[in-house]
Amino acid sequence: MVAQDCPNIIEFRHVSKSFSDVAVLKDINLTVRRGEIFALLGENGSGKSLLMNMVFGGCQPDSGEILICGEPVQISSSAEAFAHGIGMVSQHYSLISNATVLENVILGHEPTRRLMRLIPYLDTSKAARKVQELCNRYGLNLSLYDRIDYLSEASQQRVEILKMLYRDSELIILDEPTAMLAPQEAERLLAIVRKLQDDGRTVILISHRLEDVKQVADRCAVLRQGRLTGVFKVFATSTRRLAERMVGHALDFELERQPAVFGDVVLSVRNLCVEYSENKSTLHDISFDVRAGEVFAVIGVAGSGESALADAIAGLAPADSGSIRLMDRDITQDSVRARSLAGMAYIPDDRRNKGLFVGLPISDNLVTKSYFQPPYSKGAFLQRGEFRRYAVQFLKRYGLQLAKGIYTPTYQMSDSEQQMLIIGRETDLDARLIIFSKPTQGLDIGTTLEIRRRVVAERDQGKAVLLTTNELDGALACADTIAIIHDGAFVKVGPANEMSRQELGEYMMGVHR
Amino acid sequence: MSSVVFNGTSFVLPLIIIAIGGIYSERSGVNNLALEGFAGFGAFSGGLVVVLLSGASANPPAWMFWLSFVGAALGGALFSLLHALLCLRFKANHILSGVALNVIALALVGLLIEQVNLDLYHTFSNFFQLPEAARLTLPNLSSVPLVGMLFANAYAYAPVITLLVLLAWYVLNHTSFGLRLRACGDNPEAVAATGVDVVRVRYQAVAISGALAGFGGLCFAYSQHGRISTTIFMGFGYLAIAGMVLGNWRILPTIGACAVFGFARSVVQHLALRYGIEYSMLDLAMAVPYALVLLLIVYGYRSSTPPKALGKHYEKNRL
Repeated sequence: MVAQDCPNIIEFRHVSKSFSDVAVLKDINLTVRRGEIFALLGENGSGKSLLMNMVFGGCQPDSGEILICGEPVQISSSAEAFAHGIGMVSQHYSLISNATVLENVILGHEPTRRLMRLIPYLDTSKAARKVQELCNRYGLNLSLYDRIDYLSEASQQRVEILKMLYRDSELIILDEPTAMLAPQEAERLLAIVRKLQDDGRTVILISHRLEDVKQVADRCAVLRQGRLTGVFKVFATSTRRLAERMVGHALDFELERQPAVFGDVVLSVRNLCVEYSENKSTLHDISFDVRAGEVFAVIGVAGSGESALADAIAGLAPADSGSIRLMDRDITQDSVRARSLAGMAYIPDDRRNKGLFVGLPISDNLVTKSYFQPPYSKGAFLQRGEFRRYAVQFLKRYGLQLAKGIYTPTYQMSDSEQQMLIIGRETDLDARLIIFSKPTQGLDIGTTLEIRRRVVAERDQGKAVLLTTNELDGALACADTIAIIHDGAFVKVGPANEMSRQELGEYMMGVHR
Repeated sequence: MSSVVFNGTSFVLPLIIIAIGGIYSERSGVNNLALEGFAGFGAFSGGLVVVLLSGASANPPAWMFWLSFVGAALGGALFSLLHALLCLRFKANHILSGVALNVIALALVGLLIEQVNLDLYHTFSNFFQLPEAARLTLPNLSSVPLVGMLFANAYAYAPVITLLVLLAWYVLNHTSFGLRLRACGDNPEAVAATGVDVVRVRYQAVAISGALAGFGGLCFAYSQHGRISTTIFMGFGYLAIAGMVLGNWRILPTIGACAVFGFARSVVQHLALRYGIEYSMLDLAMAVPYALVLLLIVYGYRSSTPPKALGKHYEKNRL
């Protein structure tokens, strides 16, 4: 347990870490005070998650030391971190999917009693009281006997927080907690964070969402490429200044947008219904048009049908009824390849599974939609030389600098690089319709802005763009028309400039139906 | 009718206990195709205990019956540790390890039986004689119509297996060990993050699996053969795997699936004898439960949900 009276709950002194000769963290000096909400800002790969993983026993620093309450400590496992009163909620929740909320919370600290002093059994009643009490105190709103796999993303996150509270963590680290949440759910999470602070706990918030940091944090540290670029008092620093510190250069937040010039209807969806059992979302009676030169954004909380819609139009989920027309052709029953050849490009949401073959080289990944055509195939024979020529040219054209050029293993590329690879591949198809499914999910601010610029650039070239997203900012920055999807049905469709954030958020949460 | 029930239960109960062994291993995340080998080696160990303690005499004393089961459980557990070692320590492919151990068990049992007989008793023999299986009749229950058939002249291991099944169910669902075991098969990283040693839990789970399979294997040796030789490897371990898969890795449905196989088998056996099917056709008739497995897998597999982390190696400190 952490002593109650020390002012500095955790301190990093000259902490460095490298992996196979690449320095990932360089000489970090940082102090977090007891009872504050401390934010750690940085782009993807800036080292912020790694730094916190060190605190939680994920790995050790190569040099330098970590002090808890002034005492140097070695933390080599999460169990030791718990013993020091440190808890962490990472981006990928570590929950047992087929167990209940209560079982997840008590796992590893199960209260066991013995029946007739002999037969051991789990005494859940006492634990349940304690867990329920914590739930009520922090407004977590969970039902203890629900199974994890039936819970929403946001609820699962609250289970993780509950786990840390049950273990009496004094210091709670949250890694990108709002990245996957709808605005109202994010608000609610931040309210919980404030309550944790009111109760005297310390919170470290790892984030690249500046708004969150601005809302709750007292101080924040900015990491860039493994170095600490500064520690700021949040109330005294502007959002723009923080962002520029993160990226390392001045940022152009405002997208240059020409006024929209709509052309003919390119995509026309009528009464589309899909039973899509794989991720439990279904689509009911969806109709809309996307015109050339238009960005049509479909926005909803995760799992409300936004991904299913993109999959259905791309042909990954068969339509049960209704029709999909691309220009003057009915593609409702067409295969994925037929749709692609008819003029559709698709950037899927799950880039590692649907967008890429991470085990195959870059050159193969770049021709997944054209390898069967000349010049990449002659008859039944693949022209590997053409693959490589295209890949070299591609990397040069898009300014992708990779350690081993086209021979860099795809799985070693960062999230941003992988996404830029997919976007480049799809835009090169020169399709009439291009679908971006959650293109900026989990990416840092620099890449996010770049992708938004690309979305608008495609539209300015006269393509029809369908964008699905969970992020209000992305939709508002790019879209000409916004449709809000809730529970698999459109609840509101209208021009983007006529909708307020407040209104959009309420529709996303299903307040209006 | 009563012979159908008798043959059915004496076949189903060992099958259930072997399948539950499989559930323990797989729910912890370790694939277990080695049930056949565990059961066979366990039965051999039981026979070895008998032979070592009572000599090569043709008729071992009856009290050996119970001791042989202790030997079977220990031998099965010991042999299963090989699987655990390969999968957990050396990170071998779980499927390959299981298949290899099945083959090794068969070869090892054949070799060891002959060597033990030769070295200790100077006889050329390829089997161990087992004592006569103890039977018991529960006087009150056996007179109840229908249900009574289960309790008349049953193998003495039947009530023991019933107790073991209850115990296995209780441990898996109502103790902290059971919770940890189930959690290891779903998300080992999460278990490790709470400070529990995943590898240790998995070792224990595999050892329990071996002990239960060994116990079940010896039951089969008593009911089907009365002696230990390489013919005890009759594929019942694979049937148990099918029962576990169709039972969706949960104990109660698995009991149901095993019961369907077992009683199908005994009904076919009964009909075959009654209507005097040719001996050459009997083997074909005995294949009915396996054909049933294929049918059920086609229609039942869709809803099956294996443990999420099944067959995946757990790496410490993966970032």
